[in-house]
Amino acid sequence: MATVLLNGEPIGVGGRFPRVGDIAHSFMLVDTQLGDVPLSKFLGKRKIIAVVPSIDAEIGLRIARKLESIADSFAGTKSFIVSIDTPYALARTAAVEGFRRIVMLSTMRGRDFHKDYGVMITDVPLSGMMATAIFGLDEDDTVLYSELVQDVNGDPNYSKLAEAMLAPPA
Amino acid sequence: MSTVMHGGKAIPVNGDFPAVGAHAPAFSLVGVDLADVTLATYAGKRKVLNIFPSIDTPTCATSTRRFNAEAEKLANTVVLCISADLPFAQKRFCGAEGLSNVVTLSTMRGREFIQDYGVAIAAGPLAGVTARAVVVIDENDKVIHSELVSEIKDEPNYAAALAVLQ
Repeated sequence: MATVLLNGEPIGVGGRFPRVGDIAHSFMLVDTQLGDVPLSKFLGKRKIIAVVPSIDAEIGLRIARKLESIADSFAGTKSFIVSIDTPYALARTAAVEGFRRIVMLSTMRGRDFHKDYGVMITDVPLSGMMATAIFGLDEDDTVLYSELVQDVNGDPNYSKLAEAMLAPPA
Repeated sequence: MSTVMHGGKAIPVNGDFPAVGAHAPAFSLVGVDLADVTLATYAGKRKVLNIFPSIDTPTCATSTRRFNAEAEKLANTVVLCISADLPFAQKRFCGAEGLSNVVTLSTMRGREFIQDYGVAIAAGPLAGVTARAVVVIDENDKVIHSELVSEIKDEPNYAAALAVLQ
């Protein structure tokens, strides 16, 4: 099991974390209109998937703002924020912040995503939420970049993400 | 299994909704400080469980305000507002609204509560959140009132819930 840090203390993170070169696991999440959204809906596009503990926590909002601001620099790429917040909370923040580029998705219907993306926090006080992580996928859902952020309240390494996403195809 | 309406459409709700006279099932939920809170935390008190889909929707917000206003008039009684919202969202709402007489609790850690209290919406756009319901529990954890609101967009029957506490 992986661990990450919360205020300097290690907390367990379960599930299978996707590695570079893996095919990303399929998922079914819920958008801000309460509709079901599968990963396959975006086949043919590249994806940046940022996972956050909560949009109502400082780190979640900071990552969402950053992703919104850099989304346009990735051509042919769809950017997502995924959390266990209700779609109502995600919609509220998207409206307040005026997000137009990023897609907010909720794991409200089940915890499969938490396990399949290796972000399932298993220790209190955050158990039930997901650890902070970011994934870059290519058009065929091959993982180009994956990072389980060491500190739950820390930022992902955006420059490494960009490097992996913008590199010419091998 | 029960059925409620959502905007006129029937949706299934899993689990056994507690009937009057039943012993309230034990539960473990999460408070605004992210700590576990159980039914036993309120042993010896009367409990009003105000269960709803999300604090970020109008009817849920209304019911929380209403119960907050009623709560301080009720002796030896705690009002627990329970939803799938994260504690952060619940705290934000109650903080912004100045609601200090109710306790908000989240189902974030697992599905046992929504199953054991028969409020697990099983299909449709709301699958994953809790149905709207009010369960009133006495000092000995016996259910003395319960209402699974038949149209999820409607408010619960406050008068009926409060009557058993007078």
